[in-house]
Amino acid sequence: MSIGALDAAAAYGRALGVGKTGGAGIDIGKSTPVGGAGAAGGFGGMVESMVGNAATSMRAAESASAKQVAGKGDLIDVVTAMGAAETALDTVVAVRDRMVAAYSDIMRMQI
Amino acid sequence: MDLSTAVKVSASGLRAQSLRMRVIAENLANADSTAPTAGGQPYRRRVASFKADLDRASGAETVKVQSIQGDKTAFQRSYQPGSPAADAQGYVLKPNVNTMVEAADMKAAQRSYEANLNAIEAAKSLTMRTIDLLK
Repeated sequence: MSIGALDAAAAYGRALGVGKTGGAGIDIGKSTPVGGAGAAGGFGGMVESMVGNAATSMRAAESASAKQVAGKGDLIDVVTAMGAAETALDTVVAVRDRMVAAYSDIMRMQI
Repeated sequence: MDLSTAVKVSASGLRAQSLRMRVIAENLANADSTAPTAGGQPYRRRVASFKADLDRASGAETVKVQSIQGDKTAFQRSYQPGSPAADAQGYVLKPNVNTMVEAADMKAAQRSYEANLNAIEAAKSLTMRTIDLLK
């Protein structure tokens, strides 16, 4: 995952180059040269797809545990599905925290 | 990701070992099961055998139970003329289950299950520590 302070700084630089003022126009997208136009393309899309994946695996875990409670499921299936869901959610949360931290770093920057 | 594949492989090991455990439990439970009719066959000890199974999606070799077969060793005979399962000479055929062998086999299944559990735990903790690198 190549999201770091450098990406944030690059996005900040791009936003400065476009000539916008304030934090509203800062595009924290991936390092694709979208300029000011493609507002929430990169980061928003990425978070959306990651949250979608996490939700899918959590739904699978939920149905596995529901089956287990009903007495029809396999305990090992429940454990593996739960593990996958936990991993997916933890990844999303870690990436989000990282991005939010980068964003607030930019917001704290002196202009 | 390879760590999640490792979990999948270990889960197949858990499944195989729990089935082996079930077969051992059947053997132990039926250690005294005689034939329902006079001169008939008693319970025959069963053994689970495993085989490697290629998971095409990930290219990993998982394990699965190939077959559960009967043990071909001879039945024990004991003289019990009063038993309903006794033959004309008064002998009853007893299952070829040796509880000592079953106990040892059960211990092996238990240890193997624990080994797979440990592998899952290790893979999971490595995954979590990798995610923690982001934090």
